[in-house]
Amino acid sequence: MKFIGMALLVVGAASVASAAVPEIDPSTGMNAIALLAGALLIVRSRKR
Amino acid sequence: MNTAAVTVPAAPSLRLSLRLGALALLILAEVLAVSLWLDNASLSGSGGVAGLIFHWGALAVRAGVAAMLALLVFGRSAAPAEPLRLPQSPIRWPVLALHAAAFAGFLLLSLRLYGPHSATVNGLAALWILAGAIAVAIAAVALVPLSAWLALLRRAGDALTFAAIAACAGAVAGQYARQLWAPLSGVTFSIVTAVLRLFVNPVVCHPATFTVGSARFSVQIAPECSGIEGMALMLAFSAAWLWFFRREWRFPNALLLVPVGLLAMFVLNSARIAALILIGNAGAERIALGGFHSQAGWLAFTGVALGMCVLARRIPWLVTSPPSTVAAPVEAPDSTAAFLAPFLAILAAAIVSRAATADFEWAYGLRVLAGAAALWCFRGVYRKMDWRIGWPAAAVGAIVFAIWIVLDRGSRTAPGAPAALVNAPHALSAAWVALRILGATVTVPLAEELAFRGFLLRRLASPAFESVSWRHFAWMPFVASSAAFGLLHGERWAAGTLAGMLYALVMLRRGRIGEAAAAHSVTNGLLAIWVLTTGKWYLW
Repeated sequence: MKFIGMALLVVGAASVASAAVPEIDPSTGMNAIALLAGALLIVRSRKR
Repeated sequence: MNTAAVTVPAAPSLRLSLRLGALALLILAEVLAVSLWLDNASLSGSGGVAGLIFHWGALAVRAGVAAMLALLVFGRSAAPAEPLRLPQSPIRWPVLALHAAAFAGFLLLSLRLYGPHSATVNGLAALWILAGAIAVAIAAVALVPLSAWLALLRRAGDALTFAAIAACAGAVAGQYARQLWAPLSGVTFSIVTAVLRLFVNPVVCHPATFTVGSARFSVQIAPECSGIEGMALMLAFSAAWLWFFRREWRFPNALLLVPVGLLAMFVLNSARIAALILIGNAGAERIALGGFHSQAGWLAFTGVALGMCVLARRIPWLVTSPPSTVAAPVEAPDSTAAFLAPFLAILAAAIVSRAATADFEWAYGLRVLAGAAALWCFRGVYRKMDWRIGWPAAAVGAIVFAIWIVLDRGSRTAPGAPAALVNAPHALSAAWVALRILGATVTVPLAEELAFRGFLLRRLASPAFESVSWRHFAWMPFVASSAAFGLLHGERWAAGTLAGMLYALVMLRRGRIGEAAAAHSVTNGLLAIWVLTTGKWYLW
């Protein structure tokens, strides 16, 4: 659930921050966030 | 030390949650309808209350998001264990009818406010805000009794204070962050110029307009490109990461990670702009301004966030205890990686291949290669799974294909193959199509089904997901994993969510991951035939 919370936080912040700014392309944001969340899940699972 | 965090969080009962959800949907639908209809630009130049609506409308949305996030984070620690139940109280339809009347009044006031301005626009604007608030309040008490609202407020405790602080901070920070654009652009301009001097001679440099580049290719650094967006994203991520895993970090030492992350994002944004100019200078202007421009920001954010989480854990000065991997000479088999790595490899390859191409993703084969390599690495784990398939998989695959096509009927994109593919040599375009089909029918179904059905569906049911039966059904994991699958399909999220549900059901029916992968493969295969025969390439 922590990772869902994290993903929500980042999506929320990205959607708020990315209005009309090309630096972070919102159209591919979900893919990037999924990549980051998945990679962190793997890192955390290895730590356990 | 932190006793609040170990208490069981208060949760509304299912009936109350459904009522609250219905209220949120009603308000959301009405706000969407009004926002699509009204043009906020018509209030441009107004002063007083009307000017406040024009300037602070977007900030109110930011405040709302910040407040929701704060409630999400802090609300869980405020806590009696007993769930809050909805008293026996049916929906009050007469009050809901009153809400409809109030909303109609709000619409009439909107017509006046957003129409030709009059001298009384400020009074009208104040009345408009009041009418909107009254309409929302009436809807709230129509669906949930006042006593339940009061109980909810009492249970929220300090979380409401934190939410209010976050709302104000979010709104104000959003407004004043824009004032940092200009000074940060100046610093970015200086760094980019300095980096370019190492590679380009002469450097075109106009400080008055923030134009920088070479004689062949130059760009203007807009205030929006100052790097503050990536820094804001990193601030949200690092703060949340430190909060969620606060027991593992040594404070205040770990707070150093926040400025380090922000600085890294700022420097990498300058590096992104310098790299963009160098790519353009090398003759690949379309790649520089196309794929690289849109993807490099995410690459930087993902890299810094992941690097921070992995590397910082190895610094004893920052953590409360050293990573357990130090003490373990031999790691246990890691099946989380086996389930997620192929999907993540494809996602990473997609970001890289898009960044390396302009308007057509010629490097699609990179996704196939990355997915296949990851699948090969964990082949030993997959051999233990049940890959048998039956006819229901093919049937479900065909049904999902039909849903995909039916829901896509409204698409306004003109059919036809991409110009880049049509104009390419025949052998090259044929190879690209072959790789595209291979990816769609083999690597993508395997990777996505392992990630969403094999991992996420079971991980949401229990942290020890490997012990969860392949036949285990529970509503929350079923809906949440399907919704996550749908969200990754962008504008086709509805079809994607339905597809995720059907793939999950076909897997749960017999407890075989092979059924879901086969159904997914059939869908994608039929979709490939559809695209090639009808010319509707936008479906790819």
